[in-house]
Amino acid sequence: MSVTTPATNARKLQIGGIVWLALTIIVLAIGFYHACTAPTEATMGNLYRVFFYHFPHTILSFLFPYLNCFASFAFLYWRTRNPESAAKADAFALASAEATVLYASVGLATGMLWGRAAWGIWWTWDARLTTYLLLWLLYVSYLLVRRLSAAGQTEVISAVLAIFAAIDIPICFMSIRWWRTQHPAPVFGGSADSGIDPSMYPAVWWNLIAWLMWGIFIVGLRYAIERRRQRAASANALGFLYEDAALEAR
Amino acid sequence: MTPLAIGLPPFHTLAQRHLVYAYCAVWFLQFGYGIYLAVQWRKTSRP
Repeated sequence: MSVTTPATNARKLQIGGIVWLALTIIVLAIGFYHACTAPTEATMGNLYRVFFYHFPHTILSFLFPYLNCFASFAFLYWRTRNPESAAKADAFALASAEATVLYASVGLATGMLWGRAAWGIWWTWDARLTTYLLLWLLYVSYLLVRRLSAAGQTEVISAVLAIFAAIDIPICFMSIRWWRTQHPAPVFGGSADSGIDPSMYPAVWWNLIAWLMWGIFIVGLRYAIERRRQRAASANALGFLYEDAALEAR
Repeated sequence: MTPLAIGLPPFHTLAQRHLVYAYCAVWFLQFGYGIYLAVQWRKTSRP
């Protein structure tokens, strides 16, 4: 009969992570192949291939902030009821916030490079670009709060900030539907004449799946690192308590 | 069609260059962060 210990669980998780990473790299390679071999677009030529990386990153940069928001709510709910679950929620909130900044940075960089070549300008203050920059700034400020605020209240302050920051997500997502913008109208789920040629679907969906898998991997790894850090901090704090108790007992 | 549909370097047009820059920026940011996390994972010892 086998016995499950925390060490064997950790080993299984590590092996699972390596298998997931290997699968992700294969799917990323398939996505890259489809991005390179999709038919050339009629008006923009090959430049439109930026879309195959820009679209997944932008969509996923709207998903991770919601995870961050839910985890922050969970942290605030559990912090006085169940400190262990609260610590897990806080670690997950941090991991998803870093993924948000990463994916939004990629969305901004690819969008600006595309805009310079397609429109002749790097940036314009239209509703989509402005609200997207605001989204990026909000989550950068979230990470700065976590890094720079005084110990003890960091988790609570950042959780409250995360909940308010999430308000920008639907505004940014809907901006190209609500207002006339320099940014193109929605490609999927837009007006009747929106959409792309079906021959381009494989490149879009493979890359969306690939970057989603990569996002799950980095959020999982960041979460595991943060949990290790939390356990090390708890062990250190307990060590100090035992030392103090031993000194008082003398 | 060549495997890389935009052709091979050197890239002469702005559109070609920016397409290559965009793909390089994605890989640099994503895999750079992945390598940073791998280093952090190795550095954080199990308590």
